[in-house]
Amino acid sequence: MEATIEVRGLRKRFGPRLAVDGLSFTAAPGLVTGFVGPNGAGKSTTMRMILGLDRPDEGAALVGGRPYRSLRTPLCHLGAMLDASAVHPARRARDHLRWLAHANGIPARRVGEVIELAGLGSVANRPAGGFSLGMRQRLGIAAALLGDPPALMFDEPVNGLDPEGVAWIRGLLRSLAAQGRAVLVSSHLMSELEGGADHLVVIGRGRVIADTGVAELLAAASGGRTELRTPDRQRAMTALAREGAEVAAAERDAVTVSGLPAERIIEVLTAARVPFTGIAEHRATLEEAYMELTRDAVEFRAGTGGEAL
Amino acid sequence: MSRALHAEWTKLRTLPSTGWLLAALAAVTVLVGAAVTGAVDTSHCATPAGCAEDTPRLALSGVRIAQVAAVALGALAVGGEYAAGTIGATLTAVPRRVTVLAAKAAVVSGAVAASGTAGVLGAVAAGRLILPRNGFTPEHGYPLLSPADGATARAAFGTVLYLVLTALLALGAGAALRDSAAAITAVLALLWIVPVLASLVADDTWQRRLDRFAPMTAGLAVQSTRSLERLPIGPWAGLGVLAAYAVAALLAGGARFAARDA
Repeated sequence: MEATIEVRGLRKRFGPRLAVDGLSFTAAPGLVTGFVGPNGAGKSTTMRMILGLDRPDEGAALVGGRPYRSLRTPLCHLGAMLDASAVHPARRARDHLRWLAHANGIPARRVGEVIELAGLGSVANRPAGGFSLGMRQRLGIAAALLGDPPALMFDEPVNGLDPEGVAWIRGLLRSLAAQGRAVLVSSHLMSELEGGADHLVVIGRGRVIADTGVAELLAAASGGRTELRTPDRQRAMTALAREGAEVAAAERDAVTVSGLPAERIIEVLTAARVPFTGIAEHRATLEEAYMELTRDAVEFRAGTGGEAL
Repeated sequence: MSRALHAEWTKLRTLPSTGWLLAALAAVTVLVGAAVTGAVDTSHCATPAGCAEDTPRLALSGVRIAQVAAVALGALAVGGEYAAGTIGATLTAVPRRVTVLAAKAAVVSGAVAASGTAGVLGAVAAGRLILPRNGFTPEHGYPLLSPADGATARAAFGTVLYLVLTALLALGAGAALRDSAAAITAVLALLWIVPVLASLVADDTWQRRLDRFAPMTAGLAVQSTRSLERLPIGPWAGLGVLAAYAVAALLAGGARFAARDA
């Protein structure tokens, strides 16, 4: 079974605030789709609308072509982890998974399977109230996997995790996509998705800013720039600027040059007798690409921030 | 619906508080009933028969306190999910909200009915033991309490229904208010404060009106087995008043639960 998570023209207003403003995108089977935007951009609200928890003012969200609320065994179509702390503190982890399984007619042995899959075997019989954040995330992921769904959705799954936990989740997301599932994962930090996502939907102020493959985005952000290392940065920058290049000081002895091909840079520096120790095509990080995209869309300002639920 | 019921039953069963509340419900019904029954004897009456004591009602008076447990259980069924944040998980597993609420109402009713039945039978048994020692003997016109006796059976069965209805009233309030503490407070205030207000009203006509529409006074009319003509409202009609409150709360809670974002 394959399933696509599809969002079409979603709009949601909370009082005077337009939280989601005509959002459309698709999370396709076999890919990890990163859903990125600053805090308050509307990521959680969008995910809640996909799950039918919040009703959109306009537009629709479909899972495998159907609205979530029309699904008879929804956990077998879309597994989701929105808020890992949303577990009753007095209920044992195993019992939390049990009632979810019962609600969708999922066989009891599947509860044991996801407990093992999420590495919760040793704590499954303890009340969830004593769990660390990392264990709660694992329990949330176990719950999402319970129905063996073809589509999965995680809201900020690595938020607050230690590096080991981050690596585990990244690997898990990759393997779920490799099995042909559609995986939608939100984050407010692009760096968290570095090497983890195939496709990106970047949003800001409730709108899509970019909907692109990770490879294309990086190529565009790296676009025609050259990284230069030189012990005499000042003279190098002056010489290159005189030739019409745009130059920017980067790290201590590095300069980022755009507007001149690498061969021409070498010629200019040689002619001006400026020594240099390295020259390479610039490779943008996801973080840089993201900063460039969201420069105009960042709405997080002091005193007005906070993710709306 | 059967899956939703199964899920809600598992949810109810796997919280330690459920067991404690149900045990308290039964225990308080028996113990308070026994304490009240033990504190009354015929010595203050001219003749033992002249006391005209409604002995089944006396034996079942523990529910006035025990209903707190039923109210708490009902309120926690929905309000507890908002407090723990599990309401989102519940509605992603069962997106049809009316189904969720109906399943919760069913399992809470079943649990309260079971523990209420145990408590009520225990209270009747305690009354049967205690009452004759205090002068309420068959010779004086007080037959031994028995759940098989017509009027006592009605009082006992009605008391179990009373407990179920208070739990449902609280469940509806929990769904409407989305907060257990607020729902428990509101329901207990409705149950306990209206009778107090009624007793403060000097005007007899108004006092009877209040007694007829106060959910606890009206609902507990079902426990009466003597002088029914002097009750402000008939036994079943009184329980009907409480049922109307419960239905109204469930409809209000259900409407809000179905319409609002989770």
